[in-house]
Amino acid sequence: MALEKLDVYWPILILMAFGVLAVVGALVVSKIISPQKPTELKRQAYECGEDPVGDAWALFNMRFYVIGLIFIIFDVESALMFPVVSVFKKMNEIGRGGLVLVEIVIFLFVLIAGVAYCWRKGDLDWVRSFQTPDKEKES
Amino acid sequence: MFGNILFLVSALFSVLGAVGVVATKNIMHACVYLLMSLIGVAGLYLTLGADFVAATQLVVYVGGVVILMVFAVMLTGGADSQKSNRFGIKKTPMMGSIGTYIAGGISAILASYIVIFRLLPKVFEAQPVNSTMAFDKTVEKIGMLLVSDHVLAFEISSVLLLGALVGAAVIARPKRN
Amino acid sequence: MNETIVTYFAKFEWYKSLVKALTEMLGFNAEPLMVFLFFFLAAFIVVNVMAVTAGLATYAERKISADLQLRMGPNRVGPYGLIQFLADGVKFIMKEGIIPKSADKFLFTLAPILCLAGVLGSLTVVPYSSGFILSDLDIGLFFLIGISSLVGLGIFLGGYASNSKWAMLGGMRAAAQIISYEIPVVISGLSCVLLAGGLSFTTLIEAQTGFPQGWFVFHNPFTFIGFFVFFIGGLAETNRAPFDLPEAESELVSGYHTEYSGMRFAFFALAEYIEVFVVSGVAVALFLGGYNVPFGLGGDGILGQFLQLGAFFSKTLALYYVVIWFRWTLPRLRVDHLMTLCWKYLTPIAIFNLIGTGFWLYGFEGKSLFELLFKSGAAAAGGGH
Repeated sequence: MALEKLDVYWPILILMAFGVLAVVGALVVSKIISPQKPTELKRQAYECGEDPVGDAWALFNMRFYVIGLIFIIFDVESALMFPVVSVFKKMNEIGRGGLVLVEIVIFLFVLIAGVAYCWRKGDLDWVRSFQTPDKEKES
Repeated sequence: MFGNILFLVSALFSVLGAVGVVATKNIMHACVYLLMSLIGVAGLYLTLGADFVAATQLVVYVGGVVILMVFAVMLTGGADSQKSNRFGIKKTPMMGSIGTYIAGGISAILASYIVIFRLLPKVFEAQPVNSTMAFDKTVEKIGMLLVSDHVLAFEISSVLLLGALVGAAVIARPKRN
Repeated sequence: MNETIVTYFAKFEWYKSLVKALTEMLGFNAEPLMVFLFFFLAAFIVVNVMAVTAGLATYAERKISADLQLRMGPNRVGPYGLIQFLADGVKFIMKEGIIPKSADKFLFTLAPILCLAGVLGSLTVVPYSSGFILSDLDIGLFFLIGISSLVGLGIFLGGYASNSKWAMLGGMRAAAQIISYEIPVVISGLSCVLLAGGLSFTTLIEAQTGFPQGWFVFHNPFTFIGFFVFFIGGLAETNRAPFDLPEAESELVSGYHTEYSGMRFAFFALAEYIEVFVVSGVAVALFLGGYNVPFGLGGDGILGQFLQLGAFFSKTLALYYVVIWFRWTLPRLRVDHLMTLCWKYLTPIAIFNLIGTGFWLYGFEGKSLFELLFKSGAAAAGGGH
């Protein structure tokens, strides 16, 4: 027996450490051999040649958040689907595939109902057919 | 050997990340420290042999919840270090009233009592990690249980997700004039 | 279960004798040390091969684009300009790394680290051949999805930390796009998991054969569509054209890396090019037969391993070519079209495919379309691996 049970996770740790060390190491080397002459103009944020106005950390639209929420729900759904789907073939071989298939289909149909609802109500549209406030239109 | 290294690295990540979350004033940095802590927790799951749970932690929390949090931060216009007292940190250095301190103190005493006298002895009794874990495919075990014994929980969880989906959509919907 | 590159080498006699010699020399059990050293060496080789592949990919990208536009492309550095990427690398290191004064310096440096760590972490489970896979985790595909989600966060943080309006817009778009397209990709991958009956890449690949008719893409009509859904979604996950909205040159200057220069930018580019390789490799492993060689040529020996490497790399690089080809052929999508494509086309199609594949597996007992059409061909398809 060559490996202990947890040894299979070595590469994850090593590769991610490589990822960190490569960036840090290259930055250190670059710091040593590259010129370092920062000037005020160089260090300005790029705004097509104008002086930057204010900073970029502005309020963003709500729909990014909605997309994030819908994504998490699908993410959890896929996390639940993975184990069930991976045993489907074996269950099919011992003759219980129909039952599992029905379970998967029910699970997915409940979610499809949710997607259909969101679709019908326009929550999946990036550009809404009705805009909220008059303030946005004025500005 | 690797079990110990993985445990140390992940424990360090999760503890340092958690400390960073509460210590930093910049809310975006707090999100990143939270990410670090969550990755550490995923590593801790790996040391316990729960590989599927670890991957779920990565997919749902690192890939989903942290992104959602940074989106939520962007709804408030991001973290501006000049305005960090927007959360009341600089204005009230003590951060609380007598009531919160009493509640906090009592819960701290309770928690430390439970940890020191109830949990710690069990930790030292516990078996070393490597010797107890049967490393069969955890995914398939979970799958078998989900389609046989816990099928009701599996199906009801889809209804829960449906509720969350519809709720999120309704709350975020702009109001008609 | 949980095959790794070390268990592959541990089958050989020289590995055992090496362990024995080391144990005698050091005076303690050298097995864990050897395991670490082999993993380290293998990971080091993989990372370097990937870095060179990514470098050559930047060269290929310029050459192919030049071909498509009737230009010459880079041809000064080395024969046919082949070592252009090394010259670029040297130049990246020599460049001054500028951090804008309004930027968040901590996150500005952390963003490329997250990108690169996420991409390199996903190389753990990419199956190069049946022996040369760094670690064939039981949760392979799911782990890959989880670890590569670090990339999206890295890109967002890069855009956020720059504190430049172009970068911020690019970062927000990137995050929204990457998380949206993860859904169709994951669900299309699920239909392959359904057919193979396991999450690990070895299981997924061994369920296919070395012949095209045994590949999952030709298994049934649903997986045929699923492959294209997966590939389109994967393209969007890597922010490649026609989905390069986060770095749309004509509207956002350079998107999330507008403020990046020098090595920090180089690592963003490196991460992107490696990620394209990973996505192509996973598409090959899931749908195009992975490392399988027709007739099982070469057997189980070292020759067979290299043939498998050749099969995997040739398919992956062919897909890589398609990705580059797309970039110089198709125009960019609009943001609302992008979201419509994901949520109203790809996701419903992917869910439909998953259910359809389930019914196919139940109805035809896992037989592929080819086996059903040509009963006599079934034997040949079965003997493929």
